Amino acid sequence: MKIQFERTGGVAGLRLTATVHSGTLSPEEARKVQEMVQEARFFELPSTLLPAQPGADRFQYKVTVETKERRHTVEIAEGAAPPRLRPLLNWLTAKARQ
Amino acid sequence: MAARVIPLHCIIPPHMLREIAKRGDPDQQAWAFRTLSLSEQLRGQRQVLGMFALATPAGAKRRTIYDARHGEELPGVLVRGEGDPKSKDPAINEAYDGSGATYDLFRNVFDRNSIDDRGLRLDAAVHYGRDYDNAFWDGRQMVYGDGDGRLFNWFTKSIDVIGHELTHGVTQYEAGLVYRGQSGALNESFSDVFGSLVKQCKRKQKAERADWLIGKALLTSKVNGVAIRSMKAPGTAYDDPVLGKDPQPGHLRDYQDVDDDNGGVHINSGIPNRAFYLAATEIGGYAWEKAGRIWYLALRDRLRRTATFQRAAEITFHVAGELCGKGSKEQKAVRNGWKAVGITVK
Repeated sequence: MKIQFERTGGVAGLRLTATVHSGTLSPEEARKVQEMVQEARFFELPSTLLPAQPGADRFQYKVTVETKERRHTVEIAEGAAPPRLRPLLNWLTAKARQ
Repeated sequence: MAARVIPLHCIIPPHMLREIAKRGDPDQQAWAFRTLSLSEQLRGQRQVLGMFALATPAGAKRRTIYDARHGEELPGVLVRGEGDPKSKDPAINEAYDGSGATYDLFRNVFDRNSIDDRGLRLDAAVHYGRDYDNAFWDGRQMVYGDGDGRLFNWFTKSIDVIGHELTHGVTQYEAGLVYRGQSGALNESFSDVFGSLVKQCKRKQKAERADWLIGKALLTSKVNGVAIRSMKAPGTAYDDPVLGKDPQPGHLRDYQDVDDDNGGVHINSGIPNRAFYLAATEIGGYAWEKAGRIWYLALRDRLRRTATFQRAAEITFHVAGELCGKGSKEQKAVRNGWKAVGITVK
């Protein structure tokens, strides 16, 4: 499994990116990522998730998950992320900051 | 904003309660408002009650600071209301004082009574999320994170960030600049302009003395950078192995037509930011008096939702002519500022 992650926007306007190959992770981490992707029902998400309310300085996320069988990209506005997607976003954000 | 159904379980009909909230004596107003607020769903739903129930007498601030306690539920726990004593928590006090300073600038210099010009409450939540390296305006209130402690300090530390967020509220009620592309970059720029003016006014600094940096106190000493943005020299604020290099252009030729960040609203704001900096420093004196007024009137009276940099240049030029005279030093400075960043007013 390969994940490409990008976070932009926010008041500081920074661009954080990360690419994760499950092959380079420890077995527990690789399993954890797999679980988070499943928990999020990632492949069923629409390709864009927009916010319900106006706002400014919120983050924009772009996540692509690729397995042998399929590949799916989701663009998410902070505030529109369903709760089940948040653990994956938080984990990826932490990875991007390393 | 989406309409919500609010269940009200009382014998006095809502329309009557609203009239009492508007026209009753203070006790009657308080009772009517409390009754209208019975439903938990109304907490924070200020757009339903509109301008009357929460309006304050002209010139009166109504700051309400909440603690989100590292969660993401808003508004959080009320920790400091208007007139309440200082907290032991610096973030709470900074949110309180910074909102006050922003209110005061808009009131004293631009004759504006809060975000909506009708005394709207200034609500802010601090300690939002965990390691949350951001501050934002959610359409109704300010929200501040604590940073990650490694690269970013907590976000109320810079008073210009507080002014920046509140100005998004002002823009929302006035020009309503769409938060995408050039209009979005203008939206961002107005927030940096007035955020910086709040700081400059607090320090009693003339344009030439100001640092024109945004979020100077946000970066820790571990970061190779001075601020998150420089209005004076876009692109020079930081160059760090983790954060990257400040991507802001200072000229239209370097405009970044990207997909991310809503079309680069935080990136391309460098262009109008620099135009303001140049106009303000060419005019001289305190930047809020002439340049700030011109920009404020443009935002309040002339700019439309889909304004481009070109429109903003033309409008600020005309406003400068009306305010200070055609051919005045101020009007020339505005034209020069835009010209220097690649936008020519005919």
